[in-house]
Parts: sequence; structure tokens; C-alpha cells
Amino acid sequence: MSLWRTLFRIPWHIIVLSLLLVAIGAMALYSASEGSWQPWAGRHAMRGAFGVGVVLVMAFVDFKILHRLSYFMLIAAIAVLVALLVIGSGPNVARWISIGGVSFQPSEPAKIAIILALARYFDSQPQDRMQSLIVYLPAIGMIAIPFLLVMKQPDLGTALMLLLGGLSVLFAAGLPWRYVGGAVIAALVAMPVLWSQLHAYQKSRVMTFLNPESDVLGAGYQIIQSKIALGSGGLFGKGFLMGSQSQLNYLPEKQTDFVFTMIGEEFGLVGNLFILALYLALSLSILRVSFLVRSRFSQLTCMGLSMMLFFYVFVNVAMVSGMLPVVGAPLPLISYGGTSMLTVFIGLGIVTSILIHDRQED
Amino acid sequence: MRRGKEKDLRRVMSRRGFILAGATVSMTGFLAARLYYLQVAQTSRYRRLSDRNQFDVRVVPPVRGRLFDRKMRLVAGNAESFELRITPLYADNLQETLKLLATIVDLPELRQAYVLDMAKTLPSFREIMVRDDLSQRELARLAVRSALLPGVSFGKSLRRIYPQGALTCHITGYVSPVTQREIEKDETLEIMPTLGTGKTGVELVFERNLRGFPGREKIEVNATGRPIKVLSDVPSAAGNDLRLSIDIGVQLHAAERLRRGRWDTVELGSHEVQAALAQDAELQAHLAVGDNMILRDGNDRLVPAESGAAVVMDIHSGEVISLVSAPMFDPNLFTGRLLNRDWRRLNEHPRRPLLNRVTSGLYAPGSTFKMVVGLAALEAGVISENTEFFCKGERELGTSVFHCWRKGGHGVMNIVSALEQSCDVYFYEIALKTGIQKIRDMALRLGLGAATGVNLPDEKSGIIPNHEWKLATKGSVWTPGETVVASIGQGYVLTTPMQLAVMTARIANGSKAVAPSLLSKSADASSDFAPLNISESALAIIRRGMFKVLHGAAGTANKYKLSKDYGGMAGKTGTVQVRRISLAQREKGIVKNIDRPWAERDHALFVAYAPIKNPRYAISVVVEHGGSGSSTAAPVARDILAKTIAERGVT
Repeated sequence: MSLWRTLFRIPWHIIVLSLLLVAIGAMALYSASEGSWQPWAGRHAMRGAFGVGVVLVMAFVDFKILHRLSYFMLIAAIAVLVALLVIGSGPNVARWISIGGVSFQPSEPAKIAIILALARYFDSQPQDRMQSLIVYLPAIGMIAIPFLLVMKQPDLGTALMLLLGGLSVLFAAGLPWRYVGGAVIAALVAMPVLWSQLHAYQKSRVMTFLNPESDVLGAGYQIIQSKIALGSGGLFGKGFLMGSQSQLNYLPEKQTDFVFTMIGEEFGLVGNLFILALYLALSLSILRVSFLVRSRFSQLTCMGLSMMLFFYVFVNVAMVSGMLPVVGAPLPLISYGGTSMLTVFIGLGIVTSILIHDRQED
Repeated sequence: MRRGKEKDLRRVMSRRGFILAGATVSMTGFLAARLYYLQVAQTSRYRRLSDRNQFDVRVVPPVRGRLFDRKMRLVAGNAESFELRITPLYADNLQETLKLLATIVDLPELRQAYVLDMAKTLPSFREIMVRDDLSQRELARLAVRSALLPGVSFGKSLRRIYPQGALTCHITGYVSPVTQREIEKDETLEIMPTLGTGKTGVELVFERNLRGFPGREKIEVNATGRPIKVLSDVPSAAGNDLRLSIDIGVQLHAAERLRRGRWDTVELGSHEVQAALAQDAELQAHLAVGDNMILRDGNDRLVPAESGAAVVMDIHSGEVISLVSAPMFDPNLFTGRLLNRDWRRLNEHPRRPLLNRVTSGLYAPGSTFKMVVGLAALEAGVISENTEFFCKGERELGTSVFHCWRKGGHGVMNIVSALEQSCDVYFYEIALKTGIQKIRDMALRLGLGAATGVNLPDEKSGIIPNHEWKLATKGSVWTPGETVVASIGQGYVLTTPMQLAVMTARIANGSKAVAPSLLSKSADASSDFAPLNISESALAIIRRGMFKVLHGAAGTANKYKLSKDYGGMAGKTGTVQVRRISLAQREKGIVKNIDRPWAERDHALFVAYAPIKNPRYAISVVVEHGGSGSSTAAPVARDILAKTIAERGVT
């Protein structure tokens, strides 16, 4: 395939959407540091540029390599997660790994690895067996093992994303409705078991979510302050750099998990809805790719990546607006954080690669 | 076949893709609805909460006005005191820190619980006052351990002090922390928790002038409580300073002199006194409230200082030069943390040190009331200067017999000699002729029977009875016998020492109905009193009688003349029975005062003015259960007047 042909086929609208989100992120981070490119906004923008570079490079990579490497990637990811539990960097929270001075969260690549491995698995299954439960059991195992490992770290937010992303691939692959219903019931039954597995701080987060006013200055503080910031923003917001909740540090974690709140305070409902619209467009664009490609592997990968991205947005916004417990889920491309942004761009790179190299017309 | 299946699955997957797209759109809609609820429907509520976060309005308490005596000596001021504060944000464990603090400074459990309560309701960066009024010792002990006390800091606040201590307690009154009841009446007090309010005395009466107006600072604060910028700043306005009419020099002498009475003070440190003290609960109670004067009485017994009242006023301006009520108390006890123990001691003390006897103590005026009766009779034309009556030592009225204080009687008396010797029978006669109503009218004109309006709270009006009063309060008609009893200031008649001083001042002044004031006045402010409208000739006759009390050959107080150097004085004794004397007792001979239990002894009264020519000061002295007006109260009044004239002069 020629260079020009490849460049022509690159889904530029996806890249533009993602760059727009990165730019919004940089602007929010500029405000989060009280009107300064240091320490977050500048690096965020540079990482965004680097991410687009990754997408463009991946456009030239044949998606079949991903297909071939997918199982290995999942096994490698699981191995790293196990290693992390053994030699973890913090006394209680083992999320980060450091190689040659570069720290990253191994749970991030695990998300993509799960989707690719599941897509390959279902791609390899004969069509006529798709109605039987046996086919789905190994897939459930592929989700469950990393899920439990990440939960043990403990990182409830990421574990939840792995689970939701994996399950959406199962659903997209054609999991019969009766199993979908069964899974919902099973989840409800499993809830108390999961609850007992949670750490005390996770439990307190959930309890606080259910009744934030019970602990105004403790765990409920984040949720209450976030709702105050969002609500006081009103329709048009208090203006750029004018959000008192954010600028006076009432809002916690405003550069990461609560960045959406900060934008809401300074740009109001209008700003928030604009961002939601961008995410919706991005998710649907990726989902649309699944209709254009040939292999089931490609289709399932795109669906999985699209849903994973969207779940991140949904959980984050629901969390900061007080609809879900504070579980720790960044807002893709806007929240500050190198590993998570790189993961999103790698996902977009995979989508690009698939679209270019596995289009139906070819 | 396989191809068909393939197509089938493609269709399923496409359908699933659409379902996922639909889910994405609807979940986004759900988020949008939630955001609309927060940012549009509820925005005003959250905006309010945001403002409450962002702005901190701090009330700056005003500095309370000071009180000075007439020579600008400080009577009530403000001293810097240190308070202990804690910031829950920086305290590792608030409860533990408080417990540790309680081992270093006095910190009751109740206060600890209060601090913990406050910490739950206030933002954690907000300082909470743990203890105020730290002593130097406590400060030193805290400073040594400060490393162990994260989040603990010190702050300065103002505390009311009364440098004259007990000496001016019944004049200044005191300031103490705001009570819940005051807040109910005046909500603005709630936001000024560090500011005490006047509870009695001048502090209460002039509360509005002294308090001043609080300032207000609106500050933008960040989440850790650090002020970012001051948005508005209204400074507090200090209260007004007041200059009182009191002269501390005279006050000091008067307090000492009144409490000594007719006895001598003893050295508290001596072995004999200490030994006696150990056994005498009454004396211990006296020392415990801070009264450190002990007397040796005529029977060689150790007794507490006398209680009673003495008040000196300027007969022209009405300015009160000295106002003493004994026993006294230390008003400084109330400004900080009043200990329960101290409160109980003051409140349960049998002689009631908290009572201001000058304005709230009610005493039968006894023979000091005879000037009123004499003036009423003279003005009514019932008698003239030369009208005479014979005193045989008693006066029959119907079936009753009313005795004169002198068993053998005084013989022939006129108004001047009757005052000089305080002949009761003479006043029985003229009172019966004058009638109670005219006596009452005269009493009211001289300032009795109504509050004098001096700047002190809870002033009593006393009682000057008449027919209507008797009917209204007792439900029976007035009898002539009651007029007889009233004529010597006993029976229903009740007055305050302040009223007696006003009465004396008006008699001495002669033209103006002078009224007392605790505020220092400029020299020419005496003219704004109402005219007295009592015949000058009648007043002159009464004043001659009062002169004779000191200077007549048979004057009841002729042993206690004020030295000519001070211009001499004129006055009237009063000895008031607190117990009815029965016929049996009278026949056996009255037991001497000193041999009776303290509470059954007569009250000793004396009213006087000085100098005799161009009088300037009037005084009234009451020594509770002090024996006789002449031997106990007269010398007290004489010495206080001498000191007044020595300190202040007469012009």
C-alpha cells in the first residue's frame, strides 16, 4: 500500500477529535495550575502530540501483527500484574512499575491486551458454536484473571474498566441474550462477595457515595466539593481561571479525576455538554469503523475499544457528578497522566491500522 | 451453509453494534440530564455553597470603652490575654491532643467535648479557641511541650480588668461572657463570642456606650484556610471611654473606714489570729471571698469587717464622689472563667457581697427620717420654730404606749432641740398633727420613696407609706399608731443609703432637687436640677437642728465633730431596731448591743453634710448591726468627710 493511499485512508476526523480533547485538557490543566503551563499543561500537550505520532506510525503497521501478538500480550500483561503484586512499589497500593526510570501502570496496557485477546479468541471460534456457553467460558477466564489481579492492587476503577470493556466484547461477539440476563443476575448475586473483598477505604468510598453528608470533611468531601463546583458553574460557568472551587483548592484531584468538574465550574453546562458531545462523536466514530472492516477480529476490537473509551467517560462523569462512588477513573485525553493517554492513543492507532489494512472494499 | 452462518453472525454483530451505539447515546443523554440538574436546576443552591467556601467573614470585636475615675485613674480597662487555639486540620488526633492539653493546662471535660463538637461542624482549617486567659505558668508549660502538640497555637485577645479590684466592684460591676439569654434578646451578640457584656454596675448601665461596634472582614480563603485576599474590611469602632465622678482616693479611705466601724483591725499574720481563724468558720468564709480585714471588737472577740454602705455626693452637681458597699468582691473573678467554687462562695455568703447596699439595700431610716417629719410639720404650719412639747419618756395613744429612746424623757423640747437629742416623743406629737400624707409628700420631695436615678441597675425605690399604700398592700386602714412609728423612721418606712444621701444633699442645697450621678460633670452643670420649693426658713431650722446634733451640749453625736479645719459638719444619727423590744425586755433593761448576736444588733445610721457654711458634700453611712448611730456611724461619716474635703477641697 502506498504512502499516499495510507495517508488518505487515515481517519482524520478521529485524530482531530482526539486532538481537540487533548487541547481542552491542556487548557484545563493550565487553569488547574492557576494559569501556568507548569507543571501539567505543557507536558500534557507534548504527550498529545507524541500520541498522534504514535497513531500515524501505527497506521503503517499491519493489524495482523496485533492479531498474532494478542495472546502473548495478554499473558505478558498478566505476568507483569502478578509480579507487581509481589514486588509492588507502595506498601498498600501496588499500581506502578518502574523500568529504567520510567514509571507506568501495567494495568493500562492490560486493557488493550484483553480486548485484542478476546477479539482473536472469538475470531477463531466456529460460527455454529457461538450459541453454546462452553465457547464463552475461556473468554470469561481471560477477563477474570486480570480483573482480579488489578482489583487486588487495589485499583477498583481500572478493574471495573477491564471488566466492562471485556464484557462489551463478549456482548458484541453475540453472547446469547439468555446469558446476558444470566450474567446480570450473577453479578447481583456476586455483589456481596465482591463487597467482602474490598479494602476498607474502598468500602468507605462506596458508603460515602451513598450518603456523602455523613462525612462532610472526610471521604464525602470530594463528592460534595465536586458537586458544589459543578453546580455553582451554572449554565455558562464562572469563566476561564475564575472557578473559585478549583482555584482555591476546594476541589481535590482537579488535574486528574476531577478535571471535568473544573471545566464545568469554569465553562458551565455548555462546556460540559460540548465535551460530552466530542466523546460521543469519538466513540461512535470508532464504533462505525467496526461496520467498515472485514474480519471479526477487527470488528470486535473496534467495538471493544470504543466501549472501553466510552465507559471511562461515563464512569468519570457519573463519579464527579455524584452518581457513582469515587473509584478513580481518569477522563480520557483530558486528565493529566502519561500512561492512560498513551493507552488511548495506542487504542486509536489500532483502530487506524485496522481501518487502513482491513477495509471491506479491498 | 457456512456462508449463511457467516452472514447470520455478521447480522447479529451489526445489531449488537447498533445496540452498543444506542447505549452510548442514551448513557450520554443520562449524563447530560444529570449535569442539567446540577448546573441549571440546582445552581443557585450550589452557588451559595460555593460562596460559603470561598469567603470567610470574620467579625472583629470592638475594644470596650474604659472607665476612669474623676482624676483619670483607670478603673476598668482591657488587658491582653493569651488564648489557646487548635486547628483540627493540623492536629494528628484531636481527641488525643486535647487529652494531652488537659494534663498541661486546666481544661475540663466539658470544654474538650465542646471543642470536638465544634471541630465536626467547622471546616478543619478553622482555628477553635480551646482555652482563654492562660496564666503565665500555663503559657510556659505549653511552650516547653509545643513540639508534642501539632495544630496547637496561641492567640491574643483582650480581657476586661479592674485594676482597683474589689474597691470599685459595686460601681463598675463587671463584664462576663455573653449568656444564651442575652443572645436571645440581641442576636448581634452571637457573632461576637469573645466579647463579654456588662452584667451589673456601670458596665451594665452604659453597655451601649462602652461596647462599640464590631468590624467585619470579608476574606477570600482557599481550601486550607489561607487568606488569599481581603475583599472588604470594615474596622471595628471602639466603645466610648467614660470618666466617672468617683475619686479613688476618697473611695479607698471610705471602704477601709466603713469596714473598720468602731473597732480596730488586727494583724492577719499573727499566731493568735491564725489560731482563732482555724476554728472560726465565719471568719474563714470572709477571708475566702477576698475580704482580708478582721477586727477585734469591744468584747475582745475577733470579728469580720463591718458590712454596710457609705456614699458621698456633691450637693451641687450630684456627682457621687465615693460609693462603698461592704462586703465587697473582686470583679476580676467574673471576666474570665469564673470558678464554680468562687461563684458559690460569693453567692452563698451570708452577708451577700454581690448586693450593692447603696442602691439595693433597704433599711429603715430611723431617726434620720426626723428631718422629713420636721420639715413636713414646719411647712404645714403645724409647728413653728418655737413650738414646744413635753417629753416624759413615752406617749400614750389610745391603749398603746409609745416610748422615747431615753427612759426618763427629754422634758421640754422644740424642733431644734428635738433633733439635737433625737427626742422621739416630740416627733410623735408633730407627726400626729401633720398626718402621714404630708410626711410622705415631703419625703418624696427629698428623694425618698423613689429610685434616685443614679447610674446603677436594680435600684430599689424603698417604701414611704400612706393610707393608700397600706390599703393596697396590707388591705387594712392606716392607724394613727402607724404614723407614730413612721415618724421615727421605723415600721413600714424603708430607704436606701443612696436616698438618704440625696435627702441630706437636698436639705443642704436648699434650692435644687439635686440628683446623683456617677459620671464626672463639668463645673457649671449643676443648674439643670428642678427647684426644690421648700421654704428656706424651714430648711434653716432643720439645718440648725442638724448642727446641734454635733455641736449642741446634748447633741447625740457631739463627740464626733468634724474638725474646724474642714469647716465642721451637721448631721443626724439613726439607730434602727431590727427586733421588736418586748415589755419584759424593756423592764429588765435593754441588753447592750454588743452582747446580742450580730444579726440582732441595731443598724447604725448617720447622715451629714459639710462644711457647715456653704456646704459641698453630703454623706450617708449605714453600718449593719453596728450598734448606735452616734458611736459607730457618726465617726465613720466624719472621717470620710474629712478625707473628701482634704482630697477635693470645698470650692
